[in-house]
Amino acid sequence: MDLAKYRALFLEEAAEHLAEMSRALLELEKDVASSASIDVVFRAAHSIKGMAASLGYDPITEVAHALEDRMEGPRAAGRIDGAADLPLLFRALEGLERMLAVVRETGESPAADAELVGALAARAAEGGLKKKAPGRR
Amino acid sequence: MKPRVLVADDAAFMRHMIKEIIEPEGFEVVREAADGVEAVEAFRELQPDVVTMDIVMPRSSGIDAVKKIVELDPKARIVMCSALGQETLVMEAIQAGAKDFIVKPFKPDAVLATLKKVLEKEL
Repeated sequence: MDLAKYRALFLEEAAEHLAEMSRALLELEKDVASSASIDVVFRAAHSIKGMAASLGYDPITEVAHALEDRMEGPRAAGRIDGAADLPLLFRALEGLERMLAVVRETGESPAADAELVGALAARAAEGGLKKKAPGRR
Repeated sequence: MKPRVLVADDAAFMRHMIKEIIEPEGFEVVREAADGVEAVEAFRELQPDVVTMDIVMPRSSGIDAVKKIVELDPKARIVMCSALGQETLVMEAIQAGAKDFIVKPFKPDAVLATLKKVLEKEL
């Protein structure tokens, strides 16, 4: 596998997903019941998870997976709990942006962010979702 | 003749990866589709021998695309591309008519073995 080529593809596609996610979160700020925006966030997290896992960027995979799990509840409900969810979702977006910047600048996997993964998992659990074992994809 | 493959995934990254795994092994990727709607249209147009189908895609999900493709051709050979944790969705896709599945991150041997197995299946 031509790692440099896949890394470049990953950075390009992941940045597009994060830009879409950012727009979707701004939309959710205005309308907590925007199911299209909830779907965008879910799909972006899912896509980033799959790509990061393929390249062995486990810390990114973990955050993206926790965010994907976090979005399951809102997807089913068709809305987010704005006050409780939005700060965390923006934090996840910023966390992923930071991690991508590390990959872009160093070509290496970023450090894990257990606190962010934990916060996302805790919110997912509060939403009545079954907590998954860490590292599971 | 080379088996003709339709690769459906919204991530160009994943489409490239599948292509790079299977083309050197004698498969021909006849079209790449970036969502479920494109996948159904490409299937209708090209009648590929096998389809690799992502589950989470925009416009129309992989599962909806499987349902539509199976309506067009009940013998369509579709392999789902799933991530761990999507077991329920994979089961739904199999019930809808998908023939097998591969798991991300892709392992080349598993991808090739699954495609060959599905192509050899009597339908």
